[in-house]
Amino acid sequence: MKLTILSGLLILGAVQSVNAASIYAGEAKAAAVCSQCHGIRMPSADAPFPPLAGRDADYLKTALKQYRDKTRKSDIMNAIAGSLSDDDISNVAMYYAKLKP
Amino acid sequence: MNAQKKRLSKSILTGLAAIILPFGVQASSDSPKNMHQLYEDNCASCHGSDHGGFIAPGLNADSLKGRSPTALRSLIMTGSFDTLMPPFYGRLSDDEIRGLVKHLQTTPKQANPTWTIDDIKASIKVYVKDESTLPAKPTYQINSMDDVIGVAARGKYGRGSGSKAVFINSVTHKQIGEIPTGTAAHIIDYNPANPRWAYVKTDTAEIFKVDLYSMQAVRSVKTGFNGPGLGVSRDGKYIMAGSYVPHNAVILDADTLEPLKTFELEGVDPDGKMVSSDSGMIIGTPFADIFAIALENAGQVWVVDLKEGFPVTKIEKVGRHLHDAFLSHGGSKLMVASYDDSIVTAIDLKDRKIIKKLEAGCVPHVGGGSVVEVDGRTLGFGTNFGDCDKMVVSVWDLDKMEVVKQVPVSGGTESPAAHANAPYVAVDIISKDRRARTIQLIDKKSLEVVKTLDVGGHAYFPEYSADGKFLYVSAGYSGDEVVVYDSTSLEKVASVAMESPAGIFSHGRVRYMTRGLSPDEMKGAK
Repeated sequence: MKLTILSGLLILGAVQSVNAASIYAGEAKAAAVCSQCHGIRMPSADAPFPPLAGRDADYLKTALKQYRDKTRKSDIMNAIAGSLSDDDISNVAMYYAKLKP
Repeated sequence: MNAQKKRLSKSILTGLAAIILPFGVQASSDSPKNMHQLYEDNCASCHGSDHGGFIAPGLNADSLKGRSPTALRSLIMTGSFDTLMPPFYGRLSDDEIRGLVKHLQTTPKQANPTWTIDDIKASIKVYVKDESTLPAKPTYQINSMDDVIGVAARGKYGRGSGSKAVFINSVTHKQIGEIPTGTAAHIIDYNPANPRWAYVKTDTAEIFKVDLYSMQAVRSVKTGFNGPGLGVSRDGKYIMAGSYVPHNAVILDADTLEPLKTFELEGVDPDGKMVSSDSGMIIGTPFADIFAIALENAGQVWVVDLKEGFPVTKIEKVGRHLHDAFLSHGGSKLMVASYDDSIVTAIDLKDRKIIKKLEAGCVPHVGGGSVVEVDGRTLGFGTNFGDCDKMVVSVWDLDKMEVVKQVPVSGGTESPAAHANAPYVAVDIISKDRRARTIQLIDKKSLEVVKTLDVGGHAYFPEYSADGKFLYVSAGYSGDEVVVYDSTSLEKVASVAMESPAGIFSHGRVRYMTRGLSPDEMKGAK
């Protein structure tokens, strides 16, 4: 019984730390990869890139995966999404979805 | 983290190279003249109008020798991570980028172009003809004009609608106005004699005379092609501007922006060689009716008297590759940073001679510098790029002119901020990895780092509000906001969004001369 509770707590703890880590990782990845063009809250007023902050996380994930497998075509996005793992995509999507534009 | 980023950038670049190569179309047939215009319109404000480099590296046949055209094309498309270099994908066509790469790899660094006093005069633009029509007091609610804080917003592309000077009320942290500057704003100076006037200088050497009461530019002038040097005289009658391209400086009437005298910057460097020189810092001082200007490559400081003919006193052998400086002791002492020999040279502006050369870390960049009075001592704080093993902020006793301490910090630094009423001296860590997001705070008394703030973006140019209650920091590059902290609790209290904010300039500076001093110190000097 005690063991179950303990392991339950451990799992809970693990899950929480995974969540926290993924937003942190998403922030780092966004800063290193996406924000160069899309900005954090807003892209440049003069930039030809769409804003990402506050967009639906599932939409962002789907779009990135489509860019990665080239079912959605864009020279630059096919190349950039191609460098992202599944985890990267989830992390980045969750980070941008939580940001207020 | 850094290695990871590098790997990542590399994998993106390789990916891009892979997708670019198959296009394999012939290079653009655009003429060199068109390519030169494209360079001027997109690159020159940072890389130098003469292709010789400015705040970014020189781009010419020599500096790009042996570089792969494909890698250069990818770099232009994606921009360079952890720097101000933006992605030009979608702004320039693939043909234009290809053409530019070819043009840059075949163009030598250009000769110093001319920009004469007549060119300067002809460049004056008047936006408000009759200044008597301007309002007599601020058109917005503000207790004191000292509370105005100006931010040089570069704009992502160093030009365009994101490039402006943004003015904020540092009590409410609300934006009160903005002045579009066309290209990246770099320096904001205030008129010590009349609180309504500010002067904004851009990377392309235009100066805007700004009416802070109505928040509009009333005049502008182009003093050269590149160069941030700008100073205002203590009586508010003159401004002086200096350029990297071409190698000149000019004194202007602060009211009309009419050029009064130009100066060719050249002289014998500390190694005995006659050189033509970039303009480094230019400073007006509450101590006297003079300007001091650093000649970067000649290693000289010139003192210009603001009287008939504007005579010059030359102080030689100040250092190898001078850059910026700050004032102390009522403005009678000038501390000048010298990159190549890693010293700060103290100059007595009264006797116009060198007092002493002080150790200053590695490649000192003092920004606006900071001076604080602690326990009867006058302490100067100097930042440095820290391109060596020891990463320190230098603290000097400016009465005795000796090194007090080299405070260990986590990386290279670019600008210190201090205020008489705030407990910490803030320095911006600029090392190109996650550290660049941070600001470190040095306790004035213990002279040790007591806290590190994670600001985000490329955090730099800290500045205190005029009352010392708030610390402003630019989360530059992709951070795109100015973040405001309570200066004692260090809690984040506000954020102001703008594109690529850089230098922050409190109007309070005209009262306390150098950041960290109290206005009383200036009164005592007069």
